Order: sequence, then C-alpha cells, then structure tokens
Amino acid sequence: MSLAHTCFYHGPVRLQGGRRLRRRDSIAVGCLYPLTGRAARYGHDSIVGAEMAAEEVNASGGVLGRELRLLFADDRSDPTYAVKVAQRYVLEDRVDFLMGVVSSAVALAVTQVSRHFAVVFVGTDHASARLTLEAFQPYYFRVTNNTMQSMRAGVLYLARRPWRRFFYIGPDYEYGHRQWQDFREYLTRVVPDAQVLGAVWPKLFERDYRPFLRAVLEAKPEVLVHGFWGGDTIAFLEQAAEVGLFQQVQVVSFDAGGNYEVFEALGDRVPAGLILSARHHNNFPLTEANRRFVEGFWRRARRYPSYTAHGAYVGVHFIARAVERAGSLDADDVVRAGEGLVLPTPRDREGFCSWIRPVDHQVVQEMFIGRTQPCNELPPARFLLGDWEVIPADELLPTEDEVRRIRASAAAAPGGHAGS
Amino acid sequence: MNQLLIIAVDGLVFASWLFLVSVGLSLIYGVLRILNIAHGSLFAVGAYAGASLVVAYSAAGLWPPGALGVLLVGALAAGLVAGPLIERGIVRWTYGREPVMQLLVTFSVFLILEDLTKLVWGVSPYYAYQPYQLLGQVRIGGIDYPAYSFLVLLVAALVGAGLWWFVRRTRFGRVVVAVIHDPEISVAMGVNLSRVYVTTFALGSVLAALGGAFTAPMISVVPGIGVEVIVLAFAVVVVGGLGSLEGAAVGALLIGLVRAAAVHLLPVLELFTIYLVMAAVLLVRPLGLFGRVEARRI
Repeated sequence: MSLAHTCFYHGPVRLQGGRRLRRRDSIAVGCLYPLTGRAARYGHDSIVGAEMAAEEVNASGGVLGRELRLLFADDRSDPTYAVKVAQRYVLEDRVDFLMGVVSSAVALAVTQVSRHFAVVFVGTDHASARLTLEAFQPYYFRVTNNTMQSMRAGVLYLARRPWRRFFYIGPDYEYGHRQWQDFREYLTRVVPDAQVLGAVWPKLFERDYRPFLRAVLEAKPEVLVHGFWGGDTIAFLEQAAEVGLFQQVQVVSFDAGGNYEVFEALGDRVPAGLILSARHHNNFPLTEANRRFVEGFWRRARRYPSYTAHGAYVGVHFIARAVERAGSLDADDVVRAGEGLVLPTPRDREGFCSWIRPVDHQVVQEMFIGRTQPCNELPPARFLLGDWEVIPADELLPTEDEVRRIRASAAAAPGGHAGS
Repeated sequence: MNQLLIIAVDGLVFASWLFLVSVGLSLIYGVLRILNIAHGSLFAVGAYAGASLVVAYSAAGLWPPGALGVLLVGALAAGLVAGPLIERGIVRWTYGREPVMQLLVTFSVFLILEDLTKLVWGVSPYYAYQPYQLLGQVRIGGIDYPAYSFLVLLVAALVGAGLWWFVRRTRFGRVVVAVIHDPEISVAMGVNLSRVYVTTFALGSVLAALGGAFTAPMISVVPGIGVEVIVLAFAVVVVGGLGSLEGAAVGALLIGLVRAAAVHLLPVLELFTIYLVMAAVLLVRPLGLFGRVEARRI
C-alpha cells in the first residue's frame, strides 16, 4: 500500500486475509512513544506503566482467554516518521490496537492511519482538544484529559482570584496553540473583565527562552500561563528564575506543568507558590489505588513516575475492558463497547469513577490544581504540589451540542475534513 | 525606547551566536567550494565535548573559572580531531565532482556523526551550567541579562577579529585568499593545495565546535541540536553571500536583529523571520549581500 494511497483514499480499508495469519492466542498492541530526545523520559515511563497494566491483565487470565502483547517503537516525536511506524504496525505486525503518542502533532498524523485502516487508536497523554473535536474519527479514544479540560479547570481556579491581566508563553505547534485557544475562549466567557495582553511562541525544544521572557516582563501581566511540557518546562523554569520572573508575575500551568519529572529535575530550585496541574499526581488523591500504582512503578523502575506512566497504564486497562465488554476483537464492536465504558483509574477520588463519553470518546475526569510547596515524601523531588483544589468533571468538557457545532464549523471551513 | 534597547541587546546577543556557528561554514565554502552539511554535527560534537569536560571538571571541584578554559580545550580538541579526519578520510575524494555529490557526501557524514555522538555520549541530556552561573547577571535598561551572553558576544568578536587578522596579515592567510580567487594559478605558483584544504577544513571545524562548546552551558545538550544549527548557519551564509566572512557577520547581524524585533513586536512570526530575511535578500541580490559574480571558467 503506497503512502499516497493511504493519504488520499477516503473511508476505512479492511485488511483481508492477512489478519487471520496472526497468532490468534494474543491481542497485539502497537505502542508509539518518544524514546529519544527531550521527551524520552515520557516514553520510557509510558513503557513501564503499560507493562505494569499488561502484567495485571495477563495475570488475571488475559482478555477473552487471550494474552495481551505489547510492542514498542520510538516515534521520535516526528509525525512523518510515526506514520511509517504506525503503518508498519498495522500492515506487518497486524496489531489489533495502536496506543500511545505524547506529541499532539504526532497524534494528529497517527489518528489518520487509525481511521484509514479501521484500527482502534488509544491516545495517552497527547492533549490537543482537536483530536476529539475537529479531527475526531470513530476509531480514536483518549484516556487522559485534553487541553480543554485542563484549561477550563485553570480558568475556573483563576476566576476565584483577583488577577485580571493575562499573558501566555507556549511552544509554537499544535499543542501550545490549542492550550491558549482553549484557555482564552473560556476565560472571556467566565471572566468577562479579564485582559489578554499577548502571547509569545518559542518553538518546541527551544534552547533560549530569555528573549521571550523579556517580552513577557515588558508587558507586565499579573498571570503568565505557560504551556510547556517535559524538558522544555525545566529549561523554561531555570531561565525564568534567572531573569527574576517569579518575583514579578504569578506563573501558572494547567496541562503538563505540574508533572513529577519537573520536580525531580529541579530539586530545591523549584519556585514556591507556582499554580500547576498535570494529568496525574503521585501524591493526590491519596487513595489505595493511587498509592499502589505509584509504589508498583517505583518497585519496577526505582524512580517515581511522570504522568505518562499513568496514561499508558490506563490505556492498556481500557483496551482490556473494551474488548471484554465487546466480546470480540472486531474494531467496530470494540468502538461500540468503548463508548460509555466505565474506566476506574488510580487518579479517581473516592466516589468518582472516570468514564468514556460516547460523543467524543474522551475520558471524563475531575481536575486537581495545586501550588508548589516543599515536600520530601517522593525523593529526589524536594517540592511537590499541595493545597489542592478539585474542579468537578462536568464543567470541563464542551456540551454535546457544542461538540457538534465545533465539528460542523470545522468541516465547513476550507480544507477542513473533520470526522471524514 | 526601553523596548528598542532590549531588542538591540537581544538581537546582538543572538547575532553573535549566529556568527559563531556560521562563519566556519562560509570559510570552508570559500576555500573548498563545498557546502559542508556536517557543520551542524561538528557543532554538536563541540557541544558534547565541552559539556562533558565541564561536567567532569566541575565534579572534580577544581578552580571554577577554569571551566571556561575547559570549554575552549573541548572545542579545539573536537575540531582538530574531527576536522582533518573528515577532510582527509572522506571529503577530499569529492573535490572536482559535481556539487550534488559533494552535498550528499557531507550529508552522509552528518548522519554518521549524529549517530556517533549518540553512541559516545548517549541520549540523555548533559547540563553544563557551571560556567553560566559563574558569571552572574548584568542589569541593562532595568532588565537582568546573564553575563554569559556577553561572553559569547566577546568570543564571537574575537573570532571575527582573529579571522580578519589571519586572512589579511599572515602569510598563510594570504595564500588562502589566493586559493579562494584562483586555485589553479595558486598551484602553479607553488602552493600546496592539500595543505591549504586540510588546514581550512580543520579551522572551520574548530569554529563549529567552538560555537557548540560555548553554547553548551546555555542549553541542555541533547541529540539533534546539530540539525537546527545547520539550517540557521546556512540561512546566515546565504544572506551574507557564500564564502564571504564579512557576509557572515552582516547576515548574522541582520537576522539576529530582525528576529529579536519579531519576538517583541510580532511573536507569531518569530520562526518565520529568518526565512523572510533570506527570501528578501535573495530577491534583491541572488548571490547574497557580499556574494561576487564569478566568470565561469571552461
């Protein structure tokens, strides 16, 4: 199958014959994660998380009597390369599922492969809301929160505080732009007197944030929203400390900024009082399930997990539950079973259970926002988040009508092909 | 007013870095007529050599300012080992071949070096922040600048002045100029062409490695940093005119200032400005600002 064919042929392609040649005693999951470069830590943590979950599933007898088998490959955070890997997974390894992908730009490419071959793609820890809205396709599911959920949670948190002058700095690609769009749209709705002063866009993996920081300082905002993740967050915070940003501006980040590896890398150089969140927190909620997950990860890897471990862990459990519920491996059956699926995760508080919304295949979850404070419980981090606020799940996602409206206007726009 | 000052300082700092990473590329092109794509990975090798030496030096608890000297040593070692090896081992076989072939060969050297750095230094980042912290901050126009940025500016100025002195005032430099103008006549006059080539290539490699080594303390050194550099250096050199040292300086300054202005005034265009400058210059002067039209010799 040629690449051109893959790109331009519309409608799913059914693989004939070949699928029957695969070993039928196992369910193969082709995982794509960044294993080199600044995002490498995320990929390696994802592998550990996914393996933990697969071990749990297989120890309890597998799914429909079959064993879960995980394949891993480096996506190099590169959409073009990742498409080739995904196609190879589907055509040569004959996988039943695609899973993973940390970069939203890569995910937008891989979801096209999933649509084309009608292979279910379980998204973990890429967050652009576009995947479940404008670029939604029925074989896509996301088991971690998206930018809209985290940004709306952030707006609700900030609305209760006196700050009104906002500025944004984030990476110059899909994920960075989408966070700012989601934040700004909801901010103007919830806090009508808020002033948006501007935004600067360093490229992904930028080496020098100082010129951008000077532009921020010059605008004199009260709140700086940052949209970085992974190594970029660490480089950004280090350089921001140098120019004295934290003495002048309240820095907040709601999607990936409060991830554990930031605290691990910076040790006692973390500024106190930053308002942050992430998709999973090692120290909240303090439920038995979360403690078991964090300790289980530590026993395997001898380090504490960043949130991608949790995403991959939940992704594998989603596959197991959806196949169990569907009673077959047929992609369309699995899609139907995945819609509305109840999905308990380690990050659920007592009395709340995550589930998959049928309209956009997006997991519905609460968000937790905290402030950085000294804490030695999970070394080598010397700071963690505390002083938590819980933002209820039902306020964070667009209504079903909104979802349909967003998709319709995207499909009508020139070049738009959402859901096609 | 204050904003203009900030833009000027930011632009100058970025320009000095651009000059440092691109002047070697221009020099090698001027003499050897080869566009050395591997320049980017020589930058990366210099960054890794500098960073790993600084990490080891700092771990040994030696005199902190010595770390700056260690960077220099790292760059010299990387450039002087890698440069002649690449020129004598690979690049010299492509002299006189068509440019496409030369491009492909240096591109393959680039790919090989990218993987070699991963084999030698691994894929985890190196943080060599000690020289950077050592110098502290400078306050200009009410805003703190890391003094290290101005050290890079100083290094770039020294490199520029040194190259100018080398080309204009030394005997070997004049031989290099003669070779740039006419290799055939130079050979007829008794110039040892291979010696000029290998020396120039080594010098260009040292300059690339120097750029890398002095960049290392400002960043986390990770695989892939060479790719960005070759693109930027190429843009600078094209703007200035291939093979021209003054061109590299002016091209760096132009791109540096325009980019700094974009960061402050039109942030969404920041990534694009470099190419905007390149396109605008090439429209008006297809050979770059300092490029000379050459008569084709048959």
